[in-house]
Amino acid sequence: MAETMTAAVDDIAIQQAKSGDINALEMVYRAYEGAVYATARRICRTSEDAEDVLQETFLEVCCSMRAFRGSGAGSLTAWIKRIAASKALMKIRWAKYRETDELYEDSARQEGGPDVGLRMDLEAAMGRLSDTSRAVVWLHDVEGYTHEDIAELMGKSVSFSKSQLSRAHVRLRRWLGEEPRC
Amino acid sequence: MLIHLTMEDLLAVRDGEGSALARRHLDECDQCREELERLHQRVAALKALPSLSSPRDRWPVVRAQVLTTRRRQRRKLGAWISVAAAASIALGVGVGGLITPAADQPNSLAMLMEETQRLENVLRSFQPETRVLNGRMAGALAALEDEISLLDARLARARSLRVPRDELVVLWSERLELMDALLNVHASRSTYVGF
Repeated sequence: MAETMTAAVDDIAIQQAKSGDINALEMVYRAYEGAVYATARRICRTSEDAEDVLQETFLEVCCSMRAFRGSGAGSLTAWIKRIAASKALMKIRWAKYRETDELYEDSARQEGGPDVGLRMDLEAAMGRLSDTSRAVVWLHDVEGYTHEDIAELMGKSVSFSKSQLSRAHVRLRRWLGEEPRC
Repeated sequence: MLIHLTMEDLLAVRDGEGSALARRHLDECDQCREELERLHQRVAALKALPSLSSPRDRWPVVRAQVLTTRRRQRRKLGAWISVAAAASIALGVGVGGLITPAADQPNSLAMLMEETQRLENVLRSFQPETRVLNGRMAGALAALEDEISLLDARLARARSLRVPRDELVVLWSERLELMDALLNVHASRSTYVGF
């Protein structure tokens, strides 16, 4: 099951990590690495990119921990989660320079044959979405981000986030071979 | 003709933002209710996807990067302190020189500080923080940077204790040697990668 950011680090460890204690920082890493990687892997196209996001996220966490204003595990979770999402989105934005987003989706569709009646599993269907659409679906429907949050993270409008989500679901429904509506 | 809800309408209803018209249609239309149910099931299936874990432990890399960053920050601070120390000592030497001119090696301390500062500037031009290093090179640089940091601490202490000029000359000579070694490592790396 998709791992959510429920890991907790006690307040003492958080304070030690804020003071720069490397062992406390490792505790933070161990508590959140699974969740950060899982999110990154669902958003990024490759496991290498997801590993980069994991590394970049924790480098920022370790270097900016002093600036972390929260005190409890809940706010630490939200803070790390946001850094991870931001890094993952940055990674897919960067990947856009390597290949055109929409082009990938179109060519994938061609390789997959006709859309109607096509059955594929959910993971494959998610992988077939454009990077942006996949990120919006994952952040909104699984991680619980609002369209406002996503718009801010992506530097786009709320309606952009909504239309990406809607478009993605139309495609998922089709690719998963669910009954077309009248 | 009955117009069904679009995916956008269904998502809005699911998120509690649907219009009254859309909600009323949903009450009356079996097809749209089924569609909404499929949407719920799809999202539940997404949430139930297996969790993925990183194939490699990235903590050792993160830890090394954090320590390198800290070391570099300490070194920058050390360099700043040494510049400040050099300025204040130079001022002291200058003023003292007017009263009691130093008999031996009158310019050696000033020259050492000046040369160290020059090497600091050369090092900055290499932009060491932007370079990719292999493990051996990074280790050598880290060891040198540590030694310089320690020496900077000794210099700061020496200054506060107002140690004799000869001792300062020794410390600044050591610092100059270390800076020289550090620069050589960076320069060999630069030559190797063809910059």
